Amino acid sequence: MSGAAPTAAPRGESRSRLALTSDRGIALLLSAVMAGLMLVFLVLPVGAILLRSLDTPAGAGLGNFALTFADPRFWDLLVNSLSVSLLSSTLAVGLAYLYAYALQRSNVPLKPLLRIVVMMPLFAPSLVQAQGLLLLLGRNGAFNRFLGFDFDIYGFWGVALANTLYTFPYAFLILSAALAVADARVYESATMLGARPGRIFRTVTLPATRYGIAAAVFVTFSLSVTDFGNAIVIGGNFSVLATEIYNKVIGQGQFALGAVIGVVLLAPAVISKLLEKRISSRQQAQMTDKSVPLTTRANRMRDLLLGGYCLAIMIVFLAIPGIVATASFVKLWPYNMAFSFTHYAFDVQNGTEPLWNSVYVALATAGLGVTIATVSAIVVQKFKTPLSGPLSFLAILPSSIPGMVLGLGYVLAFNNPANPLNLMYGSLALIIFLYVYYNHAQAFLITSTSLKQISSSFDEASTMLGGGVLRTFFKVTLPLLWPTLLGVGVFFFMRAMVSLSAVIFLITPETQVAAVSVLQLADRGAVNQAAAFSMCIMAIVIACLLIVRMVLWLAGAKSVTLIR
Amino acid sequence: MDSKLCITALAALLLSVPAAADEITVYTSYEEDEAARFLELAKQDMPDLEVNMLRLSTGELAARIIAEKANPQHDVIWGFAASTIVTPQIEETLEAYRPKGIDAVPAEFRDADDKWFAVTGYMAAFCVNDERLEKLGLEKPTSWKDLLDPKYKGEIVMPNPASSGTGYIQVSSLLQMMGEDEGWAFLEKLDENIAQYIKSGSKPCHAASAGEFAVGASYDMRAIKNIEEGYPISMVIPAEGSGNELEANALVATSKNKDAAKRFLDWTVTKTAADAYLEWKAIVTIPGGNMPQRFLDAGLPADTNSVLHPTDFKAAAEDRKEIITTWQEKFER
Repeated sequence: MSGAAPTAAPRGESRSRLALTSDRGIALLLSAVMAGLMLVFLVLPVGAILLRSLDTPAGAGLGNFALTFADPRFWDLLVNSLSVSLLSSTLAVGLAYLYAYALQRSNVPLKPLLRIVVMMPLFAPSLVQAQGLLLLLGRNGAFNRFLGFDFDIYGFWGVALANTLYTFPYAFLILSAALAVADARVYESATMLGARPGRIFRTVTLPATRYGIAAAVFVTFSLSVTDFGNAIVIGGNFSVLATEIYNKVIGQGQFALGAVIGVVLLAPAVISKLLEKRISSRQQAQMTDKSVPLTTRANRMRDLLLGGYCLAIMIVFLAIPGIVATASFVKLWPYNMAFSFTHYAFDVQNGTEPLWNSVYVALATAGLGVTIATVSAIVVQKFKTPLSGPLSFLAILPSSIPGMVLGLGYVLAFNNPANPLNLMYGSLALIIFLYVYYNHAQAFLITSTSLKQISSSFDEASTMLGGGVLRTFFKVTLPLLWPTLLGVGVFFFMRAMVSLSAVIFLITPETQVAAVSVLQLADRGAVNQAAAFSMCIMAIVIACLLIVRMVLWLAGAKSVTLIR
Repeated sequence: MDSKLCITALAALLLSVPAAADEITVYTSYEEDEAARFLELAKQDMPDLEVNMLRLSTGELAARIIAEKANPQHDVIWGFAASTIVTPQIEETLEAYRPKGIDAVPAEFRDADDKWFAVTGYMAAFCVNDERLEKLGLEKPTSWKDLLDPKYKGEIVMPNPASSGTGYIQVSSLLQMMGEDEGWAFLEKLDENIAQYIKSGSKPCHAASAGEFAVGASYDMRAIKNIEEGYPISMVIPAEGSGNELEANALVATSKNKDAAKRFLDWTVTKTAADAYLEWKAIVTIPGGNMPQRFLDAGLPADTNSVLHPTDFKAAAEDRKEIITTWQEKFER
């Protein structure tokens, strides 16, 4: 025994050193793979479109930027974009925080229902969301027509409202992940020290969710700034930078000037990258090895107030799909309200086939998306490699790129005989990668928010016990993280079912997806058929959620929620 | 996941197998229902020709064609706005071709260098919501000039000519009819009554159909289809004459299946095709044939030439940039 002891130590040491070097190897390898994928499916397409911004009749140069910045209209649009996005982002994050708080920290009833209802804006193509808002609040919408009001939704306030509704679910997903875990000991000591609930919220809850709030502000702001669907339908004469890109690229085929505005829109990503260090350095992990999960105490008054709030929000989020559904089931909204199935005939190209294409694409996007977003988040948050910095920037970059611009970038990059991946052009595989990277920022931020709650002391303990990076991930991180990942998968699935602007340049006659059918129908004036088609998309999304729910139930994970 | 990736990659490879000799890809801006009907007939006449069709709106299709220029995926452009097809970035991708029987189509509807020809077209028309007019106690406008009346203030929507071909033909026809100075002065007066400049040519008609506004400046077939859908609207062809746009067909120079592409283009000027156009289009440039009763019922005159303002397409295309720049400076907010 005494003879064995001296040799054991060096051997153990060398083993852990070996584990350390192989860990380092795995970390570097994974980082490199993630960086490689981002290079091909993000940097290349974005670079291709940005190169266009330098394309002037006189050769490469900054002429287009000079031209754009010299135009007073550009500055007006910039102010419009900033003001409407700031307002809607503030509203969305504020409202979603309270909503997520109610779901995570109180005993309001019907939580599963409350969770799914606010996801509604993600279930249907944005085209239909805007249409629903007009059916409800337009000049001849239900409110004005049937209740005798007379107000005009078109303009600044309409766009702000539409964008608030549209970005709310994104804010909710992130904030819900941020509020999901908390250490009961901190709350107990705060209470023992005599802090009142308001003070506890300000000094404990709020700081603990700092990263989540920052992420939610960034995501909602970028989404508002880059969205042109709502602004085009509801803005009226109120234009923003994103609609100006549409004007330049779709209206006039002026890629170069459109690309200049595309570059300007990247600013939020750059700014948030600069601010990120300051925000995360103050963020502390919630779940350490000593943590005690917070359980919600009974409090009738709080539940009543928060329950009322949730109900009000729920009504708003139900009203829009509700009115679209109604319009799809009557002969001719709002003139002939007789019940009818005629809009469900779908005499559009390929009929309902694109629906099944979309299900396939959405499932593949969910699988691939979760894998890529999770590995990126772990690589950035947990491994410190030289690639972490650039990766964390690229990971959130997509949220600053309008779908239309990214889609065009894919055409420019992949429909190029010089690109060895040219073979992918025209395939569903490329559409899947486009969906994954188009939605990468939100998925990455949701996963990162969850990861930040898990203390690195777990990793340290696991490493000390001889577990390598992979072992730690599968034995420690994944069991804590997987409910979030499930939610991220559902998120990717929903986005891939309905996103339109990004894929419009990639679809071929063989690879038609459901959202495009909605556009075809709306374009040819069959708006009610478009609504009916959207209802089918929503039904499929909800059916898929139920199936996953059931599988979870059968697998014994009864308390796990799909949407956190 | 990896195996799934492999399968998708494999599928990608399989999909990219070179097309068979009798297979072509057609890009079109015909509305989806029209295109589907025309294609059905084309397949009856040429059962051995496989036609893959992609339908996008004019602007989206133009952007896609320009973006795909490094390696065009299509063999034929079909039913695409003539004023857009002449933009240099697109025109230079085309190859001159004279389909069999094209001589029947008057020269004014064809490119002088045979790079494109147009067998169909559309004209500007107002969609007027009768229910809303009645509610507001307004008379039905019959001309552009009527729309200057202050009582229509805030009740008119019009397409933005910078992003909509329909909007452009409305503006350019007014300028051609009235001359530059008078035309711009007219548009300035009209601007006072316009509630919104909408970024698409069909949306103003939809907005009027939905009862959001009383008058939507749009185009003929949009109005006719919305009337047939049952909306309480009527179509008004402006009394001054109506601006119009041609829908052009063309052969793409990079096509790898030129023979098949030419067969398809030949078909677009056949009698079968012409008869089908008559069912769906108010302007058909192949002579002979009558307008269907339902168009007459909706308010189109049997002889469309009587209302068409003779459009100088070459001029309309050449002045496009200047007109749009001026328009944006004056009216775009």
